Amino acid sequence: MTTVKKRILVVDDEASMTRMLRRNLESTGKYEVRTENSGDVAVTAAREFHPDFILLDVMMPGVDGGEVAARLKEDKALQNVPVVFLTAIIKKEETAPTGSNIGGREYIAKPVKLEDLVACIERHLGKQ
Amino acid sequence: MNTGAQNPAPAPNPLPGIAPDWFAAWVERWRRPHGGSAVKAWLGVLALILLTGGLVYVTGGTGFVWVHLMYVPIILASGIFGLRGGLISAAVAGVVVGPLMPLDVAKNMPQGTENWVLRSHFFLLAGGCGGLLSTWVNRQLERLRETHSALVRAHEELKAAQMRLIQNAKLESVGRLAAGVAHEVKNPLAVIQLGVDYLTNAVKGDKGLEETVQDMADAVKRADTVIKGLLDFSRSEQLTLAPGDLNAILEETLLLVKHELTKNHVTVEKDLEQKPPPVRLDRNKIKQVFINLFMNAIQAMGSEGGTLSVRTRRQRLSAAQTGPGEGAPGGFHAGEEAVVVDVEDTGPGIPEDKLDKLFDPFFTTKAVGSGTGLGLSVSRKIIELHGAVIKISNRKTKGAAAQIIFRPGERNRS
Repeated sequence: MTTVKKRILVVDDEASMTRMLRRNLESTGKYEVRTENSGDVAVTAAREFHPDFILLDVMMPGVDGGEVAARLKEDKALQNVPVVFLTAIIKKEETAPTGSNIGGREYIAKPVKLEDLVACIERHLGKQ
Repeated sequence: MNTGAQNPAPAPNPLPGIAPDWFAAWVERWRRPHGGSAVKAWLGVLALILLTGGLVYVTGGTGFVWVHLMYVPIILASGIFGLRGGLISAAVAGVVVGPLMPLDVAKNMPQGTENWVLRSHFFLLAGGCGGLLSTWVNRQLERLRETHSALVRAHEELKAAQMRLIQNAKLESVGRLAAGVAHEVKNPLAVIQLGVDYLTNAVKGDKGLEETVQDMADAVKRADTVIKGLLDFSRSEQLTLAPGDLNAILEETLLLVKHELTKNHVTVEKDLEQKPPPVRLDRNKIKQVFINLFMNAIQAMGSEGGTLSVRTRRQRLSAAQTGPGEGAPGGFHAGEEAVVVDVEDTGPGIPEDKLDKLFDPFFTTKAVGSGTGLGLSVSRKIIELHGAVIKISNRKTKGAAAQIIFRPGERNRS
């Protein structure tokens, strides 16, 4: 029996970052990953991809992470998809295991270890 | 006799450009003599009076011109000792010339007694006027001296404030730079971290490659620690103040570093004030300062371990404790009530030439890779924002000592 892979949308303006996240997440065998390098196309990509989880960079040129999250919230089909911010502007110590949030969304600090990222994703997927 | 422990600053020349400095210094030396010097001055005045009396006797009595020389010791005494000195010397001069009156009679000057009374009155008048004038001049000089001292003090404070402003401006620009650098470095570091994680799984079984990847992982961790320090440094201006118990915070912080203490064979000696007054503080930031001090102490004592002493006490500050330190502008005043925290170790202490650089950003005495050089500068900033003062010195016995002085109180100070 094959398990259905969960879909994860990763949005970060740095291509090396999204590439590395895709490789790592796919290597776990649990996820199907789509990456985007611009906030402008993030919502369109989400509508096409129907993700179970969205990982969003905060500081991006053009439409930033906060704006993308707000647009997702307005979309009835996407408003319940868990979104977690990935950001370089905070320290790891400033993120609690649960509950640290920007505008109601959880965030994790860069650099993040794969095991911590997977734990975060699984926690959110488990809630669904 | 100078009863002060310190040498007073030399008084300014009250007549610059008119009287030479050496003369001003000489006058100052005899202006208000005490103890042995006062006795010498009185003996000098008395000798001059007797000498003049002798001259008057030899030259034929008070009717002659030499009696006017008697005004010299009277004016001198009034100048040195003020009104009292002038009157006493005038009275003595009168008594000295009294026995010389019969000489006037012998010289066919029958008005000898009246002459003596008149002369004595002139002496008293001269002594009194000279004394009053001298007292007035002395008071003016005293005021001048006080004004001079106040100006010197104000100038010193102004210089110190200017230095603090320059230092703060420097720190502020370093802080802004640090925040920018931290953000820019974190992104590539995140890529490397994820690359390391990916490779960790890919190289399993190959010992050489596993070690290489592990070294890379350690390097990422170290870089992340430096960046954490930079972010701390750039953000320490944000405080959430609430009344707090320093003893409780110290106990909590000691628990946080318990593992490091045990691992490094460090014994803790606590001597905590039973009920320290509350201090308005940001609990987490002050914990950060204590962690920094404890970790510095533990690292200074090295693998051999030692003793970490932690002491709190409520006290009125002594003059020695209000000396230069890092933190609140203006610092503390002697006699002010404060809560003092002392953290001491039994390590090798700090080289004397490094003591004044300890709070500079990026300065470290630790080995390369062991410290970011930001811990104490972050601590200094946090302490300053609390209106407190931190000082680090070497103990008289072996080791280093950090002292933080807090103002007690539950409310904000205006």
